[in-house]
Amino acid sequence: VSAPPTGHPGRVYRAILRLYPPSFRDRYGAEMEQFVAASHRRAAAGGWWASLAWWAALLWDVAATVPAAHARALRLRRATRPRHQHHDTGESMDRLLQDVRFAVRTLARRPAFTAVAVLTLTLGIATNATMFSLADVMLLRPLRYPHPDRLAVVFATRGTTNNESLSYPDYVDLKAASRTTEEMAIMRGQSINLTGGDAPERLAGSFITPGIFDMLGSTPILGRAFTEAEAAPATAQPVAMLGEGVWRRRFGADPKVIGQTLILNGLPFTVVGIMPTDFSVLGASDVFIPIAYYPNAHGLDRDARSMTVIARRRAGVTLRQSELELSAIAAGLARTYPSTNANIGVHLEDVHELLVADARPMLYILFAAVAVVLLIACANVANLQLAHALARRREISVRLALGARRGRLVRQLLTESLVLSVTGGALGLLVAYWAVQGLVAIIPFGLGDFQPVRLDGRVALFATVLSLATGVIFGLAPAIHGSRSDLHDAMKVRAGGGRPGRVRARSIFVVAQISLSVVLLVCAGLLTRSLIRLERVNPGFDGRNVLTLEFRLPAAKYTESAQIVDFFTRAIAEIRRVPGVESAALVRAIPFSGNGDGRGFEVEGRPLQTAELIRANYNIVSPGYFATMRIPLIAGRDVEVMDDAAHPNVVVVNDVLATAMWPNEPALGKRIRFGPDDAWRTIVGVVPRADHFGIADKPRPQVYAPFTQDAQIFTSVAVRTKGDPMLLGGAVRNAIWAIDREQPVWKVRTMESLMDGALSGRRVTMRMLGAFAGVALFLAALGIYGVMSYLVSQRTHEVGVRMALGAARGEVVRLVLAQGLRLTIVAIVIGVIGAAGAAKLLESQLFGVSSSDPLTFASVPIVLAAVALLATYLPARRASRVDPLVALRE
Amino acid sequence: VVKREADPTALLPLSAAVLHTLLALAEGARHGYAIAQDVETLTDGQVRMGPGTLYGTLQRCQSAGLIDDAPAPRGRDADDERRRYYRLTPLGRRVLELEIARLDRTLAAARAKRVLRRPEPA
Repeated sequence: VSAPPTGHPGRVYRAILRLYPPSFRDRYGAEMEQFVAASHRRAAAGGWWASLAWWAALLWDVAATVPAAHARALRLRRATRPRHQHHDTGESMDRLLQDVRFAVRTLARRPAFTAVAVLTLTLGIATNATMFSLADVMLLRPLRYPHPDRLAVVFATRGTTNNESLSYPDYVDLKAASRTTEEMAIMRGQSINLTGGDAPERLAGSFITPGIFDMLGSTPILGRAFTEAEAAPATAQPVAMLGEGVWRRRFGADPKVIGQTLILNGLPFTVVGIMPTDFSVLGASDVFIPIAYYPNAHGLDRDARSMTVIARRRAGVTLRQSELELSAIAAGLARTYPSTNANIGVHLEDVHELLVADARPMLYILFAAVAVVLLIACANVANLQLAHALARRREISVRLALGARRGRLVRQLLTESLVLSVTGGALGLLVAYWAVQGLVAIIPFGLGDFQPVRLDGRVALFATVLSLATGVIFGLAPAIHGSRSDLHDAMKVRAGGGRPGRVRARSIFVVAQISLSVVLLVCAGLLTRSLIRLERVNPGFDGRNVLTLEFRLPAAKYTESAQIVDFFTRAIAEIRRVPGVESAALVRAIPFSGNGDGRGFEVEGRPLQTAELIRANYNIVSPGYFATMRIPLIAGRDVEVMDDAAHPNVVVVNDVLATAMWPNEPALGKRIRFGPDDAWRTIVGVVPRADHFGIADKPRPQVYAPFTQDAQIFTSVAVRTKGDPMLLGGAVRNAIWAIDREQPVWKVRTMESLMDGALSGRRVTMRMLGAFAGVALFLAALGIYGVMSYLVSQRTHEVGVRMALGAARGEVVRLVLAQGLRLTIVAIVIGVIGAAGAAKLLESQLFGVSSSDPLTFASVPIVLAAVALLATYLPARRASRVDPLVALRE
Repeated sequence: VVKREADPTALLPLSAAVLHTLLALAEGARHGYAIAQDVETLTDGQVRMGPGTLYGTLQRCQSAGLIDDAPAPRGRDADDERRRYYRLTPLGRRVLELEIARLDRTLAAARAKRVLRRPEPA
């Protein structure tokens, strides 16, 4: 009936509306949304403060009218039904309403208590709702593509590895033969040079087959997509599609760009369509080009395995069935093309699974942490409630004496808890609305493949259920205890230290809070220590004061190896002339840049045991790379300028490869080659292993070849500088432009920032966990303080007697401290045991730190004991200042 | 269904929210947001009705037969056809009159006892 108001309060309010009964919502919901939109427009005009007041008024309105609406709904329903049914429900609904009113009045009379309790709960529920909204889209909801459950990434397997990319011809054959899949497409991301404009620019490009658009449910916002024929190598047309982002940014959203010609990688392409920006497939793209134009030499050969292939199965086919079928096809290819496909199999992995695999442990850890924070918040509020109940003992006793039933009192006290928790939940949801946006901003990975993260009905429902559950959890014990008061007890004015049961209950809550805090702090501590260890890992090179940048020569312009070698040689020379540059070298794949290549090799004189070549990382360097990165030579020499096409092929290998192949003799002088068609390459140097794909990489065999013998258009520059590397970014870029004004240069970064990026995920996890642990510690301290204050006030009389009998102040302080310490020690012991269990679960996330790290396990209890002592000391000091006369008279 | 229409006095006294709502509708049909704005104006900003309060009140009034849906007036607010309009029923008008009369009597009594000074001429 209604077009929902869009924008910021609308969504939150729509979620809140679910609190009202359906009949009411159906009749008035749309109008209420319009009401809220209109009134927010007016309030928002008044600025930030008016907006906040508006929100507060709105929440108050909700809290005040939801119970009444439910009561009305029940009455109306009852009115339309035979009288004798549901008589009871209506009556209890009236009574609930009465309880709620009473609870609100009671709470309003104790604003400090109410504020602390609501704040605590707001914190607990906001953190949980925020985490839930993220976990919901990532783990529970399907991806935002059509038939997301049928999408899989197709990997090639080789020996024990099962995550290699596919080659283009294999893709074509698999696609043609497969009956279990209905679509299969390639998506190969690679940067593209755009030239011919004012400044050369590097764009994020994707070489694709057009099926990808259909599979991911994306249609052009302008123009059209390529046809299969336009993309197939034999018939390929030079057509391209632009992403919406670059179209707006660079072409001013000009529709006339359709039909224009752009110079991409040095070749003219006709733009045929614009794709929406939200089309992100495993990373955003500026330009889409048919795979046939993939620029790497031999890039479309059967042994060039670099294509990401995504397949959509037919309805009803399982991933396993499809994998079996594709494996059978791959086995056929292995027989037909033994030289390239022997031992190559196929492995399917669910796209959703693949996307969340890395984030899953982090999500679980953080979710567990926020759950613990909520538990601690519950314990805290329960404690406050107990204190509150104590203060009301006389009221309750009198009501009991006047004939109130205990069940009614329990329910009434529980209603109070529920009013608190629902208010906390509503505020928590509001806080979560902003927290979600903050969370999305700091998450170190893209969320483009998922449904948008936001507060919606599901999150509201989660928060509501959580609030109600929370209210019952923290409300039940106080309610039961509170209602147990009897006349006899309460009429004794001094009531000698309260009931033992209630003290025990409060102590249990404190113990629970401290032990849960221990668990969180230990986990946060272990992760922090892991991060510190990781930051201190020696990567095998010296990343300080190193500037890196990437560029790629247009293949159309540099067709001969000699041209490439010439350009590179001049580029290094130009860069080395820049003032402030200590040394400079080329490397095809900079460590930690995510680039990298693997190749299979064989050793001269050793017959292959199987058809399988040994895998090694392969990188191309210029002379001076090792010196620039401060990678020492263990044996032999660096590659040199004279190692060119006219001289014998040489390589430098790392010690992992050398000792694996020649454990008992020097590797220098031995020869290897990459497959039977390759020339033999002599090992002239050995260097130690260095991290490449991440910090503390698995040691892998590594081969470095000189660029003069394997000239490829794609390269990076590593520059060691005397001062801050970024200061030289512009000068180094200019050095390259001095040779070719048209040459785009990108990703100008320091080596340190690259290494930093490798840890950003862990850092976010650690910081969040640390923040949660801090909140937990704060709440626990609050709890201890509250309970000790209470205990001290109960012992005022006793303290007075002791002091009257000559006890010194110090003794009184010690007495109270000892009591607090006993609780703390019990709690810490329980907490340490719990933490030991939790740390075991954390093990996969730890690095260089044992899950029973003594330092962490020793320091956390000390910190907690210190905090607990401080929280105990303040009430203890107060007790020692008691005037004995006053205490005795009381 | 609800049989309370028969006796308007059974509904008295009216709660503040109901009274203000009926008062806002006394001049003619209004949509929800306009009612809330009218009430705010009528009370010099003293009474501000949130959406839950307003529509809860409207529901109560409707089920008691005091107001019903009105066709959207032509010409005015034609910008938004989705809005629903409400108007007083004859019973609603009667109840409002009775309540005002009751208040008037109370006010007169209060003045007679000099609880309240005479208002300045408006």
